[in-house]
Amino acid sequence: MSLNIIHPGLQTTIQDGGRAGNLRWGISCGGAADSFAMALGNLLLGNPPDHPGLEVALTGPEIEFTCALSIAVTGAHFDLRLNHETVGNDEVITVRAGDRLRFGPLRSGARAYIALAAGIQLPILFHSLSTHVIAGFGGLHGRPLQGGDQIPLQHCRIEPPRALPAAYRLDYSSRPLLRVVHGLEAPYFPAETLARFYRGGFTVSPQSNRMGIRLQGDPLPVEALPEQVSSALCPGTVQVPPNGQPIISFVEGQTIGGYPRIAHVISADLHRLGQLVAGARLDFEVVNRASAHRTLAGKARLLARLPELL
Amino acid sequence: MLTDTDFALHGNGDAAVDIRFAASPGEPLSECIIALADAIVSAPDLPGVTEVVPAYQCLTVCFAPLQLPQADSGEPDITRFEQSLRRLTEAILAKDRPVCGTRQLIRIPVCYDGAFAPDMQTLCEKSGLTAGEVIARHSAPHYLVHMLGFTPGFLYLGGLDPQLHCPRKARPELRVPAGSVGIGGAQTGIYPQATPGGWQIIGRTPLALFRPQQSSPFIARPLDRIEFVPINAAQFADTDPLAEPESVALDQTHTSGVPR
Repeated sequence: MSLNIIHPGLQTTIQDGGRAGNLRWGISCGGAADSFAMALGNLLLGNPPDHPGLEVALTGPEIEFTCALSIAVTGAHFDLRLNHETVGNDEVITVRAGDRLRFGPLRSGARAYIALAAGIQLPILFHSLSTHVIAGFGGLHGRPLQGGDQIPLQHCRIEPPRALPAAYRLDYSSRPLLRVVHGLEAPYFPAETLARFYRGGFTVSPQSNRMGIRLQGDPLPVEALPEQVSSALCPGTVQVPPNGQPIISFVEGQTIGGYPRIAHVISADLHRLGQLVAGARLDFEVVNRASAHRTLAGKARLLARLPELL
Repeated sequence: MLTDTDFALHGNGDAAVDIRFAASPGEPLSECIIALADAIVSAPDLPGVTEVVPAYQCLTVCFAPLQLPQADSGEPDITRFEQSLRRLTEAILAKDRPVCGTRQLIRIPVCYDGAFAPDMQTLCEKSGLTAGEVIARHSAPHYLVHMLGFTPGFLYLGGLDPQLHCPRKARPELRVPAGSVGIGGAQTGIYPQATPGGWQIIGRTPLALFRPQQSSPFIARPLDRIEFVPINAAQFADTDPLAEPESVALDQTHTSGVPR
């Protein structure tokens, strides 16, 4: 029982909820870049929300199944075909031995998730199967999947046909507005610089990866800022390096940093970073911490309620 | 005990709090920070803590907001959480010398020969020292491990000879090989993975700094000491990357101050 990778796509990786608790050893959490989209697919199949599956980025793979099982594709919208039939996002797809799933053109978003009604039989490192691409460990051989790879599966199940309710079908076509709280060093930035930051209109650079999302725009002046002693850099932190182009620390971000932090993307919006594509324009909106926590609680309730709606 | 025991709490995003200390970076402060990290992880009244991240002058405590006890408003009670952190911090700072686990002096072999040291010439020019003097000064100290971070297994070391301080490259290299030993400003360290990097590279260790498949994935822990031991190219080639480095348990009564 396995998944055979016929074509790997741009960066298809094994991901789950990642490795929280290891920042003090220099290991960023990693895991699914859009944990919310991954959770939807898993809940659709009756899995725990962070059950291991595949993350597909920008250009999708072609995968052959060697046994019957149910899967679901959530997150970014690609044209999907099972053998020659069109299949949809956000619904249970049951495949038979020999079937091939092909990802066609990307329609919206950046990352799709293939949830599996099966377990992936690979070594667990630091309590996770996730591939840490930057540090080169986890998943299969510590790297994105390649053509010819076989991912061993166990406990394959067939689930009844189900689809996500309309309210849970995510659309990534609108211009992203990320909610942030004020950065630790925000008080040191001149008011004019902060105003410019919140005017938004930043473009996502093609140099972005799982470590950081680099933004391009009118450079933010940083000359007058006091030098920082390096300390913990949490995911979602927006740093301004000397070139004035902000970087958002992402799922595999460095764990210690020293550039001034102008803002922090709120926990509830971190998963949305996973759907940013190069060239996308985005804006920031500042909220307070209590509001950030209310938004997080709201998203947690949405996921908690989903199983009874299926 | 630290002479300056001032500290302040700052929100770091919506799911972390920084405890920042006024004292200068050094072994006494790092001892407090590590002891505090351990105390927070084992504190019974701090549910929801997900990460503790030590740094030179700061301990960052990450939490899962929805796992914190709730205030009357039904929202996470940050005020109480911060009070608990303050109480623990004060208790650690009040101690004469916080107890931290056993510490090791770890000897890391480094080959400073030509092919492994592309920037030795730059270092000689900036410092006015010969390559032999650079090597002698770089391999003399027992560097203090302040923290791990940046990428898995990277050690933030204190104690570089001021004569060896050297500016980073104006244009970082796109790929520095794993194991490269470099100097960037007042810091020295080893790149655990092949990554882009702007430090001046003066040697390479054959040892892997991050060993995810092993029961001890890291070569050192905070408060350990590191000594670089010069080796030649033949010894480099003969060293198993996964070999255990030589280590000596340090007698804690003698570790304060800067040895050598």
